[in-house]
Amino acid sequence: MNLIRLQRMPIATPRVAFAFRVASVLLALFTTAIALSISGRSPVALGAKVISATFGSSFGLEDLALLFSPLVYCGLSVAVALRIGAWNIGAEGQFNFGAFCATGVALFVQGPTWVILPLMALAGMVGGALWILIPTLARAYADVSELITTLLMNFVAILLVYWVATGPWLDPSGMALATTSRLPVSVPALWGIVHWGPLVGIFLAIALALFVTYTRWGYEVRIAGANPGAARYAGMPVKTQLIGIMLLSGAIAGLGGMMEVAGTVGRLQGGISNNYGYIGIMVAVLARAAPIGVLATAFFMAVLLNGGIVLQSQGLTTHTVLAVTGLILLYAAIGDEMAHYKILHPKVKDI
Amino acid sequence: MDIIAGLIQTAFLAGGVLALAALGEVLAERVGVVNLGVEGLIALGAMSAVATVVSTGSAWLGLFVALFVGFCSGMIFATATVIIRANQILCGLALTYIGTGMAATIGKPFSGSPVPVTFEDLHIPLLSDLPFFGRAFFSHNILVYVIFLALPLALHYMMFYTRHGLNMRAVGENPAAADAAGISVMKMRFWYTSLGSALAAGAGAYLTLSFVPSWSEGVVAGRGWIAVALVIFAGFRPINAVLAGLLFGFVTALGFTGQARNWPIASSILSMLPYLGTMALMILPVITWQRMRRLMAAPEGITAPYYRDQR
Repeated sequence: MNLIRLQRMPIATPRVAFAFRVASVLLALFTTAIALSISGRSPVALGAKVISATFGSSFGLEDLALLFSPLVYCGLSVAVALRIGAWNIGAEGQFNFGAFCATGVALFVQGPTWVILPLMALAGMVGGALWILIPTLARAYADVSELITTLLMNFVAILLVYWVATGPWLDPSGMALATTSRLPVSVPALWGIVHWGPLVGIFLAIALALFVTYTRWGYEVRIAGANPGAARYAGMPVKTQLIGIMLLSGAIAGLGGMMEVAGTVGRLQGGISNNYGYIGIMVAVLARAAPIGVLATAFFMAVLLNGGIVLQSQGLTTHTVLAVTGLILLYAAIGDEMAHYKILHPKVKDI
Repeated sequence: MDIIAGLIQTAFLAGGVLALAALGEVLAERVGVVNLGVEGLIALGAMSAVATVVSTGSAWLGLFVALFVGFCSGMIFATATVIIRANQILCGLALTYIGTGMAATIGKPFSGSPVPVTFEDLHIPLLSDLPFFGRAFFSHNILVYVIFLALPLALHYMMFYTRHGLNMRAVGENPAAADAAGISVMKMRFWYTSLGSALAAGAGAYLTLSFVPSWSEGVVAGRGWIAVALVIFAGFRPINAVLAGLLFGFVTALGFTGQARNWPIASSILSMLPYLGTMALMILPVITWQRMRRLMAAPEGITAPYYRDQR
């Protein structure tokens, strides 16, 4: 007698996949709550604290918007690359190097703000693209996995930023330890301390969504990501597209770095990326690499990161959030696979 | 001469972490599973080893606890990737995040304080007293000999000279054929992935109990990722993996020597060397030596989950 049978389907229906996504997030939060109560902390009280600290005041909401900004850029960066089947694990490095290049412009080029700011954004984007250039070419022409090469560049960029912030570009006033002096220009504020960064990120997401859905190039990118062999056979320039998209991916992360240094922080300092690049991977994966979805998941991760700051006051570290992120990612990966299964009810009567 | 002997000595000490983690990754990748969680496993192993040593005072116990923690984490990872067949890249990244985050959270109370007991250097009669070689090759702790001599030779023999090794490689190259030949693909993948994770966590214990005798949040510093890259460079062979680890130990040792001798280069720049070196080693051989690609190719069935009903 066979009451139910599982069958694996080649594609998961979007609704089922979405349900598994939500379930995986809830399950991860539940697991975290259990771990917290085992360690002797009250998860309910902590959760209430996180919610009230985030949504209870305009300060909390402003912080949320500022955290949202780097996550949107890094998430979009990873998502765009995922569309063509490339893993950009190096958003962290491109973010850092973009911030580095933008800072260079701000510190050494004189001019009116309306000239310097676009120049900084351009420098950030070019920097981000440059930082992914070698992994891109290695992937396109030598078939070297971009996954590890982009990641290794992260460490180099972080060390580079640390070096300039403690050495050549150290604040000459002698007041600061590991940071450059305050940048002469900054991204104008929109609301309270929130600058243009988050809003530009939202526009960028919409633009990318339109690009992927409605342009010929975007269509070809999707095909090349889904089935490179078929795309090549149909005469699409797969290699050129791969290079273009990966450079775009780097540029987006670099722009995020520029917004962070010129908007949120105001100066270049060690650890400016604060794991945003790594959490960006999470943002993109949870959104299934859809640009509009990235907005939602980036918001969710911003709440989680903000919660991490609250947890810090409870004797935990910011790294606790990284562990929670990993847990969500693990459950989401498992849920993704399980969404492929369909329950069959064989209509065979037992005699 | 003394500088060179010191360099080689430090190279073994520093390279041991990479070599052991790379050995673990070789085991997993040879059965067709890419474990990107090495970085997190090293962190977990490093932290749990220090935690054990602080409370019990036994370095050996610390190592075993780290191995055990790694094995259990590996079983969770293998359950997700081998049995449920979830995406290996995502699960690996998740393991890295979880391991790094948990190690930092749990290890916070004893972060930065020195480890009370470490693995002591062995004094081998006669050999250790040799003028140059004594310092370079024969004044290490026991783990260095295990990592650089016993383990790679044993694994090499097992993988290339026994039937079990053949079966193991078959599972990584062509799981469907291996399955048809009566080899249990799931079992092979599950246990070797778990064992590989145990070795990665063991590399963490080696890191905090012999190389850098203290625990802090950033102590792993990307070594797990370098180890993953080295496995590719080493062509998925245990002896090559250990030699690659030694090479990178040497690069790290150069950086240390530069710092200690006040070379006119910033220490941050010297610290970039291992990462840039890994990049170069991943890219240059493939471009310059075409034959290398085939010779050192990855197992055919890598990252692909195995579905028996979809052969």
